Amino acid sequence: MVLAVHLYKRLMRKGRVISLLALASVPGFVYWLAGFDSDPADQGALYSDIITNVGYTYAIAVLILTVATLREERDGGTLPYIYMRPIPRVTLAIWSIIAGIAAALTIAVGGWLATVLATLAVGADLPMTLPGLSLFVAAAVGYAAIFVPLGYLVPRSLLVGLGYIIVIESILAEVVTGLAQFSIWRISVSIYADLATVLGDEAIEALGSVSPGVGGGVLKLTAALVVGLITLTLALQRRDVL
Amino acid sequence: MTDTVTTTALSKWFGPKVAVSEVTIGFGPGVTGLLGPNGAGKTTLMRVVAGLQRPSQGEVSVLGENPRKTPAIYKKMALVPEDEAIYERLTARQFITLAARLARVSDPEGNTQRVLETVDLVDSAHRRLAGFSKGMRQRAKVAAALVSDPEILLLDEPLNGADPVQRAALIKLFEELGTAGRTIIVSSHVLAEVERMAGRVVAMVDGRLAAVGSVETIRGAMTDRPRQMFVECSDPRALAGGLIETEGVVGLQVSEGQLRIEASDAGAVALAMPALAVERGVSITRLEPSDESLESVFRYLVDTR
Repeated sequence: MVLAVHLYKRLMRKGRVISLLALASVPGFVYWLAGFDSDPADQGALYSDIITNVGYTYAIAVLILTVATLREERDGGTLPYIYMRPIPRVTLAIWSIIAGIAAALTIAVGGWLATVLATLAVGADLPMTLPGLSLFVAAAVGYAAIFVPLGYLVPRSLLVGLGYIIVIESILAEVVTGLAQFSIWRISVSIYADLATVLGDEAIEALGSVSPGVGGGVLKLTAALVVGLITLTLALQRRDVL
Repeated sequence: MTDTVTTTALSKWFGPKVAVSEVTIGFGPGVTGLLGPNGAGKTTLMRVVAGLQRPSQGEVSVLGENPRKTPAIYKKMALVPEDEAIYERLTARQFITLAARLARVSDPEGNTQRVLETVDLVDSAHRRLAGFSKGMRQRAKVAAALVSDPEILLLDEPLNGADPVQRAALIKLFEELGTAGRTIIVSSHVLAEVERMAGRVVAMVDGRLAAVGSVETIRGAMTDRPRQMFVECSDPRALAGGLIETEGVVGLQVSEGQLRIEASDAGAVALAMPALAVERGVSITRLEPSDESLESVFRYLVDTR
């Protein structure tokens, strides 16, 4: 727990948190702009379209945050202060991923609150924003599960992560059906789609070939967590720390 | 005494660069100085022993365990890394308390206070490390390493940036820890420091072990090098005239009031010196070996590579 708190505090530097909250709030901001001109009956669909499509800015915010969890320690040369402790490597990996998830969740709540404020501003129904929280939370967990190990393993993890979000999730997963099943964003959207009462056309398109379903989504995210945990544990055991 | 840290045929390379090559050595209680010029492989050896880097070949054993496989060993081993890396946003007290908590030390606050007193940082404990001088950071790092009361302490250039008073205090601390039966491995390229604190020296050159032992032992074993002696006397020219015929003298250099002797058999020369001085009416005010310092020994070692 001490380790997770330490890593979390290190991640949540004021300047970084402010800029990432701004990035995560883009869907809320866009909804606020678009919501004024839309038909009140369409606002639910518009909300779902915007958070499932513009929500990639949140994915990028989580990427920037979570790859830094151990990367900053490693690049900064402070990793020995954590590594040279009587802590099993699997425990070290668990707390690191928990710290990444906690940091991503903090940004998630901020991003979601921006959509709530926008909903209030345009006068739409507030309850429709609740499933939106599930999208942000699911994405926080899924992305942290893969980006924390990525940050530790790859020196240019930010670039690789952007490649994953932009090239694989946004472009390739559109055309390669099988790939969509491995997209954290689409898995998160599938959870949201199961909970949302209204879905716009673009939200359905964003889901692609992935079927809506909380159970399936949670299962896939759990699998991502397990894979991330195993990868990070092995990396901590086998690779040079410095 | 039993070695607490051993390496067996240890090698570490990074691509084509060999940083440590076939090093087999043991470290036991007391202070051991790890000596070598920059790039000799001292830091890599320390990191491999600390478990931060995996050996490319060979083995490391710390208290009978492989540090890469047994994290529990870190209850008994700590490292003060060479680089300035530190949590700049934390205060010294927060940094050391964090180290104590991560090391699962009982009474983290009490032990933090104890080590802050040991390194004389109590008055600055509330200040952020970002504002610390290099020497103060070193002391904070030493305190963080000591907070778990380790049996084995690896110190990579721990005196870098410390002022003379701090250096003296840290050297005294390491000596005390060594005397108390801890295994202290101190790397440094400042020879005088190593000579002062370490009873045993491990010299590394180009990733290999160049010599192991006390300075005197290492110098004594270098039989291919003539010993140098320095003599201060009333008439160096007259003394040199007598010494030139003495067996074992291979070189003489006379200057005002001084004589430098190179001898293949320093003992024989030293024995012959009093009689020669009396015979030639020369009064000797000083006679000492001039190449038995660690610096001379180390220069020899590096030159022979």
